[in-house]
Amino acid sequence: MDLSIKMLITAVAVPVFGAFLIPFAARISTAARNAFAVLLGLFTFVAAASLASTVLGGQTADFTLNFPRGFDLILHADLLSVFMASVSAFVSAVILIYSLDYISHYDNQTEYYAMVVLFLGSMMGLVFSANLLWMYVFWEMTGFASWRLVGFFRSDRDVAKANKTILVTVFGALCMLLGIIMVYFDHGTLDLRMLHGQAISYAAAAFILAGILSKSATLPFSTWLPDAGVAPSTVTSLLHAAVLVKIGVYAYARIFGVTFAAPDAFSNTVLYLAGASALVSAGAALIDTDIKRIIAYSTVSQIAFIFLGLASGNKTAFVGALLYILMHSVAKGGLFLCAGIIEQNTHTKDINKMGGLFASMPVTGTAFALCSLSVMGIPPFGGFFSKFLVFSGAAQNGNLAVLLMFLAGAVMTLLYLVRLFYKIFLGEPAGHGSPKEGSVTMVASVMALALIGLALGALIYYPSAYAELLTNTLGVNLQ
Amino acid sequence: MNLILIPIVLPIASALALLFISERTKYLKELLAIGAAVVSLLAAANIFLQPPPDLTLRWLGSWLAFSLHADNLSAFLLLAVSLFSAAISVYSFSTPNKGPAKWFFFNLLMTQGFAAGAALSDNLVAMLFFWEGLLVFLYTFIALSQDNHAARRTAMKAFLINGVTDLCLLVGITITAYIAGTASMSEISRDKLTLDYGWSMFAYVLLMIGAVSKAGAFPFHTWIPDAATDSSASFMAYVPAAIDKLLGIYFLARASVYLFSLNGTMQLVLMSLGAVTILVAVMMAFVQKDYKRLLSYHAVSQTGYMILGIGTLNPIGIAGGLFHMINHATYKSCLFMTAGSVERQAGTTDLSRLGGLFRAMPVTGVCFLIAAAAISGIAPLNGFFSKELVYKGTLDTGYTVFFLAAELGSFLTLASFLKLGHSVFFGDCPEGLKDAKEAPFSMLLPMTALAAICVAFGFGAELPLNWLVVPSLAGMNIPNPTMSGFHLDKLYFVSLIVILAAVINHILGLAAGGGKASKASDHIHYAPVLKETYALAERRAFDIYELGMDKAVPAVSRLLFKADRFFDWVIDTAPSSMAGFLGGTASRFHNGSYPLYMALTIAGAVIYILLAGGLK
Repeated sequence: MDLSIKMLITAVAVPVFGAFLIPFAARISTAARNAFAVLLGLFTFVAAASLASTVLGGQTADFTLNFPRGFDLILHADLLSVFMASVSAFVSAVILIYSLDYISHYDNQTEYYAMVVLFLGSMMGLVFSANLLWMYVFWEMTGFASWRLVGFFRSDRDVAKANKTILVTVFGALCMLLGIIMVYFDHGTLDLRMLHGQAISYAAAAFILAGILSKSATLPFSTWLPDAGVAPSTVTSLLHAAVLVKIGVYAYARIFGVTFAAPDAFSNTVLYLAGASALVSAGAALIDTDIKRIIAYSTVSQIAFIFLGLASGNKTAFVGALLYILMHSVAKGGLFLCAGIIEQNTHTKDINKMGGLFASMPVTGTAFALCSLSVMGIPPFGGFFSKFLVFSGAAQNGNLAVLLMFLAGAVMTLLYLVRLFYKIFLGEPAGHGSPKEGSVTMVASVMALALIGLALGALIYYPSAYAELLTNTLGVNLQ
Repeated sequence: MNLILIPIVLPIASALALLFISERTKYLKELLAIGAAVVSLLAAANIFLQPPPDLTLRWLGSWLAFSLHADNLSAFLLLAVSLFSAAISVYSFSTPNKGPAKWFFFNLLMTQGFAAGAALSDNLVAMLFFWEGLLVFLYTFIALSQDNHAARRTAMKAFLINGVTDLCLLVGITITAYIAGTASMSEISRDKLTLDYGWSMFAYVLLMIGAVSKAGAFPFHTWIPDAATDSSASFMAYVPAAIDKLLGIYFLARASVYLFSLNGTMQLVLMSLGAVTILVAVMMAFVQKDYKRLLSYHAVSQTGYMILGIGTLNPIGIAGGLFHMINHATYKSCLFMTAGSVERQAGTTDLSRLGGLFRAMPVTGVCFLIAAAAISGIAPLNGFFSKELVYKGTLDTGYTVFFLAAELGSFLTLASFLKLGHSVFFGDCPEGLKDAKEAPFSMLLPMTALAAICVAFGFGAELPLNWLVVPSLAGMNIPNPTMSGFHLDKLYFVSLIVILAAVINHILGLAAGGGKASKASDHIHYAPVLKETYALAERRAFDIYELGMDKAVPAVSRLLFKADRFFDWVIDTAPSSMAGFLGGTASRFHNGSYPLYMALTIAGAVIYILLAGGLK
């Protein structure tokens, strides 16, 4: 067997099965369990990233496990799946490292690590699956893991939010399953490699879209994400905002970007939905006062920009959307982790009770500012390029209403992030005593993400060349 | 390495190096900054004299290369940016009130590097990269200049106003690049875009918004007067007075005559914008009671002349606009330097507490007089010549009303400088200022140099016109506007009348204000109608930022939040209560009663049979 195929199997199997070994590692010692979990995360990242050389060389890696009636488990590494897998595995690995300190104050840590790793594994499975049915299976597995993580603290309120999360996403997933079944009856196969370039019926596309929008927290299914952010652990809300919501985006790219030729009217609907989503959630981010909810709303709004890029139907926009996934994961990850430090040290999530924190938390404050700039798309941060390309694509698409909606959305992004930074770090201190700076691991994690955002801007050639190669090789029906 | 990179890379690298220098070291930070700025200036001069080959680096995938190109206009702008950076870094060697020195010079050098990049970029996207990148340093520059909330709020205001207009510029550039099929300015200019259809009109308007907002024109100017009180004189002399004006007007010229060929409507829009900016800002400047704040309104007002000049779309007007751009940066930077030096030596910039400083600070005083005369358009200083060109260009378009507006602006400019000079340098010296001394050499040197340029570009106006302005126009394929130097035509006599009117007004104002120079504008400030308007303006009733942040943004976001709650109701509350209702209803039928169950079963069977098509 080829090395790349081994790596492909490893990237999926190690975290999925490793997750079930974490409770056994916990029997040995806490340290062993933590080390094992972090190792699983890092190993998955390395395995996924190592596939990059294969796919950049124009090859793909495929592994098939036969099941009857064409429901084979097919793992397929191409430019898109390797890109997505590396980004998600990287952010997940950072989350695991950051968790070492963050989660050490709480109960049920073993379950926490097992679920994060299981989540990562199902994410890998989802990304590499070239069979829609298996994609669905892994999709639901991520839903299960996220249900346990949102309800991590067992209070009634947390459980209610966890139930909301899973009910909304499962409702969407079941719609998607209907869509998948329709595809099966139309084409007789669910193997995405064989469906490449085929037409898809409106009904099937609409059902699949419902699943995508619910997972990616886009209008009309957006509000579960801010609610999930209320769940106590910032880390889990990060996992949702930076990784889980990208599942829907990825599925969109995979199904409508590089497999089926999406009908124009369908893409236009997506554009309007995304535009509305960008505006509504940005407005909510300006009103809300809970730091994690604001960042979660910001995620909803930024996801809409990714959809703008994916659905605009041209190569510039598609490249922009792919870069947006990368830049947003890194920057939003940083913001959430900063929020975690702030929450843990001030014991509040209400931004009105913060203020003047820059004096006591300069490193966190700087990292927060740098990550915000990247989300806003200010040069020289990486976010500038993704935002610029997405807007270029929208201009090429030539829909003025959509362009104006997103211009307004981008303006509001500036407003709510500047307001958030001002309220937390600069404004009048509001009797929070003198909170300390976070621990070294935590502060190092956020600073690393902030500087990576800067580095991605400086070395934009490499990610953009990758995204361009991907678009040129795999893109379907793009101008 | 290509020489063209030095003015960009050297300041940025030095700024990063500064971060590793301890705040406690003395002079090291200052000397590093001055050294970097001076070397960059030499490199810029070299680029100006001997344009280096273009530089192209791979950048954003294969579509967009990062290309730098020093044509005449870019090299001229680069020279100006580097000159002011060098002057301000020397000036700031010993100015107080600029916040931590390390961060001040970091911001200064970063601003210099990014501004140089924006000047040299041939690619619109590369220009946007540098242009929008300046935002970060604009924010930190203001926020760190004073350790109080006012500075942070003003920093936020500056950031948001410029951030929003930069986004407009971004969208404008995406559309322009798409229509033209390229983002390279030199390629677009070979086949200029026209405003024949909606998209190109939209694109130009967005580019224009970006450009005039950077230049600080009405209505995007409102952060500048606030920054005058909440930040340092060095910052004011550098960014709003020099760098922002240079870049904004540079790009306005590029967009208006190099990338697009405009029509009569757009000409009218630009000229109106220029005239409104001149008048609104100068009216505000005239009644100010603070040295720096008064200057800051003039920084806005003078932008109007440049926009007016470029808006004429004729070679003379455009030449005037560009010449005024460099002249204004020179005297306004010099004026802010005098303000900084008075602030350092006298401890205040409040006009009512200053007076009679000429004797104690003769060098500062002379520099002030030269620069003030230049900004007021008194012959034969540089401001006179550039304004003449703008006037001439305006008259050539046939719209006399804009000419009159510009002359009215000149009248008020001179009137407010008479008031300012009189209240700071002449009149009675307040008790506390009796032993004030002249500012240190490091502050006087750049100030004097800039004042000298004002004189040199006036007496020898041929020189900058022929070396800087005309080649720039030629580089943009604009024919040489036959400009001869100073001559006694009717415009000169109009300028004499304006001077006379301003002097008479000042004397009247003094008489009305009881001889106190700082009250010399009260007769207009408190005139009927104007009094109420000024009161509203002082309460920021006309400030789009305050209006937007106080009214529009909360209203819109509340509305959107309601929409968000509605969708939450649709996916959460409604299904939950529906499920609860159905469950509750169904459970009422599960009460253990056998007859009820039987009845339901039979009813169900009957309904099924009916629906299935009946018994056949």
